[in-house]
Amino acid sequence: MTAADRPGVAQPVPERDVPVRPWGPMLAGALIVFVVLMAFWEAYWRDYGVHPAYRNSPGQWAIQRRRIDHGEGDALVLTGASRVLFDVQLPEWERTTGERPIQLAMEGTSPLPMLDDLAADPAFTGRLLVGVAPDVFFSGFEYRGEVVKYAQKQGPSQRSGTWLSMHVLEPVFAFYEPDFALATVVRRQAWPLRPGIEKRTRVRKLAESDFDRSTHMWDKVANDRAYRAMARAIWAEDFGAAPPGMDTPASFDKTVETQIARAKKAIDTMRARGVRVLFVRMPSSGEYYAYEQRYFPRATTWERLLRETGTPGIHFEDYPQLQGYELPEWSHASASEARRMTVQLAPLVNTAFARHNPE
Amino acid sequence: MVFNSLTFVAFFAIVLLLHAMPFGWTTKKINLLVASYLFYAAWNPPFVILLWISTVVDWYAAQALVRAEGKHARRAWMLLSVVANLGMLSYFKYGDFVLQNFSALMGAAGIAYTPPAWDIVLPVGISFYTFATMSYTLDIYLRRALPAKNFLDYALFVTFFPHLVAGPIMRPTELVPQFESPRKATPDMVRFGLALMTLGLFQKIVLADAFLAPAAERVFDAKDAPGFVDAWTGTLAFSGQIFCDFAGYSTTAIGAALCLGFAMPDNFRFPYAAVGFSDFWRRWHITLSSWLRDYLYIPLGGNRHGPVRTYAALMGTMLLGGLWHGAAWTFVVWGGLHGLYLAVERLLRTRYAGYRPGPLALLGLGLLTYALINLTWVFFRAHTFGRAWEMLAGMVGAHGDAKPILGTPLLVPALAIVACLVVAHWRMRERTLESAIADTSPWLLGAAWGLMLFAIVIAQGAGNAFIYFQF
Repeated sequence: MTAADRPGVAQPVPERDVPVRPWGPMLAGALIVFVVLMAFWEAYWRDYGVHPAYRNSPGQWAIQRRRIDHGEGDALVLTGASRVLFDVQLPEWERTTGERPIQLAMEGTSPLPMLDDLAADPAFTGRLLVGVAPDVFFSGFEYRGEVVKYAQKQGPSQRSGTWLSMHVLEPVFAFYEPDFALATVVRRQAWPLRPGIEKRTRVRKLAESDFDRSTHMWDKVANDRAYRAMARAIWAEDFGAAPPGMDTPASFDKTVETQIARAKKAIDTMRARGVRVLFVRMPSSGEYYAYEQRYFPRATTWERLLRETGTPGIHFEDYPQLQGYELPEWSHASASEARRMTVQLAPLVNTAFARHNPE
Repeated sequence: MVFNSLTFVAFFAIVLLLHAMPFGWTTKKINLLVASYLFYAAWNPPFVILLWISTVVDWYAAQALVRAEGKHARRAWMLLSVVANLGMLSYFKYGDFVLQNFSALMGAAGIAYTPPAWDIVLPVGISFYTFATMSYTLDIYLRRALPAKNFLDYALFVTFFPHLVAGPIMRPTELVPQFESPRKATPDMVRFGLALMTLGLFQKIVLADAFLAPAAERVFDAKDAPGFVDAWTGTLAFSGQIFCDFAGYSTTAIGAALCLGFAMPDNFRFPYAAVGFSDFWRRWHITLSSWLRDYLYIPLGGNRHGPVRTYAALMGTMLLGGLWHGAAWTFVVWGGLHGLYLAVERLLRTRYAGYRPGPLALLGLGLLTYALINLTWVFFRAHTFGRAWEMLAGMVGAHGDAKPILGTPLLVPALAIVACLVVAHWRMRERTLESAIADTSPWLLGAAWGLMLFAIVIAQGAGNAFIYFQF
């Protein structure tokens, strides 16, 4: 009997019978099954080459973002997509310049949501490095743009959840990483392709993060030939055509114009309160570089961005010290190369900032 | 906080520990009350004030109701409670909806009116706790119940964290008596409660969030018109998602309460095995449907004043029930469709009163019921009428040349889960979960429990909010 069977009367105290079963042994059995399966799962991923690492979670990003409002508003802030995230090594930067930047770059995500957010925050008065990965920046692609809103609206329980995750789970378990979540693993099995559906493979794990989002390429990408080939093949799925909505000269121009106008608006706002901004085009190579050259020519993207926003920039093609690094999957440097690159990049960036004075 | 979060795991462990300590009963209740406020404040602390307002207004209104002697005075106190609760609900939930519709109406009359931006956040669970507190004053007004003997019991009834934000919608007569005398969960109650929580979280994290939601989202949020397969898969996936999400919440809530020694009523009884729509509403969100029946349908006249009034009361109740789910006309249409289904069923039952379906006819009617319910889910899920019509057109094959939307990795697991769900509901149609557990091998139960725990952990849920939190 439920309330559905008792219309128009006061509902009595519900009865909740416990089925007669050996609940103690059943719970013990369940825990044994759970522990054995978890041990197997964890061992499997460790054997695959995974180490426990901090998740690049929205909560982690929010922690770094809050630093600006909690006394570090004059800091050097890094934004951009994965190239700034993976290739700029915070420990090396700190060793080279004496300053550890705040890392707000997010993989697969245009920095424009971050620029808008920082422009609206009067607490931010420092320097801003904006990474420009052409296919992400000029298409306005925002794979994880929601982190900005998440950080703005993060409630107490989400904060404590991030804290618990970072202190209890992430330093201990290798399996605890989005690329190894059950549904993700199921979806990347060899399912037959449905007629009419293009093959789109989700980008696999490429990096490992530290406590303050200091991130480097996962050594499996650099050292495992098959994994590296897979990572390249996933990028190559995009190389056959211009990004969606940019396949005609007119649509390309309109999309690029929209991104630049948005960047200019945010930069102008920040400049008005003394923020210094610098664009950086990190290296790419191989087929990825060829794709960028073909669909995002420097003259109509990068040069236009610098010109229309009146902002200085560092393009890797212009600096011999930013060239010749090993980029295992054409887009990011291996951990050791990223360290080497950071040592070269940091002084260039500081010099550019020093040369550039806000109006 | 949400049940499917690390914060809740830590919170619940502390609450269980405190509740097991050798404190006096009043101290334990104060602990539960404080814990419940913390549970609610963990979303957005200032909204606890609304909870307090609702609690205090109804407490004093009920006290005054009992003391009031005249009929008009009693009615006035009852109305105070109703207006205060519905006023708060209307302001936060329907303010923007009213403004937008007013603006559209003015526009239709040729008067340009742009409403101010309505940047009001909807307090989580407000639809649930306002209904719970209203039932307190309404039961006293209708002389179905006596007021709580003390404020602590009453405040805990309103705030008790397992049911606070998404039900089951408790009546005072169901919960207040449980706070009056000490209750202690037996070890088996705790274990069964934990098993229920595991089942509920499995439904939410693994089935709803990991496998069904992505398929539903991909179809409903796509820009392209869906073909037959995609439209049906998206809708079926949503039917599974909303069940696993909401029933998962209720099951977890019931389990959490049981671990603390309290009983909460069933909110779902295998609804996709319903034959007919009155049967569906006896199985789906039971505590809401019975609330609407007791405090809306019956006061509107119910079936006591002839067929016309009955159908009007039925339709009115379902339309308002639809609006309760969300401030959008798509929800009203969802409620209206259910009202229409119920009215047609009532008509048919009157006309063919002697008809008793055989097993095959019963199965056919069950499948027909499920199919028609899926049509209503289209309006529930679609953000616009335009998308809803596109989905419905796809479901009847009107987009024959549509480009496929779902790949097999999303499509196959979603359909497989929904098929298993419907079969499971059908097999459990005349049973309860408890009876099924009692008939199953302990070995199998232990293994299934462990497997569900494993799946919950490796699914690595992102702590997505339950769908009904927005209502």
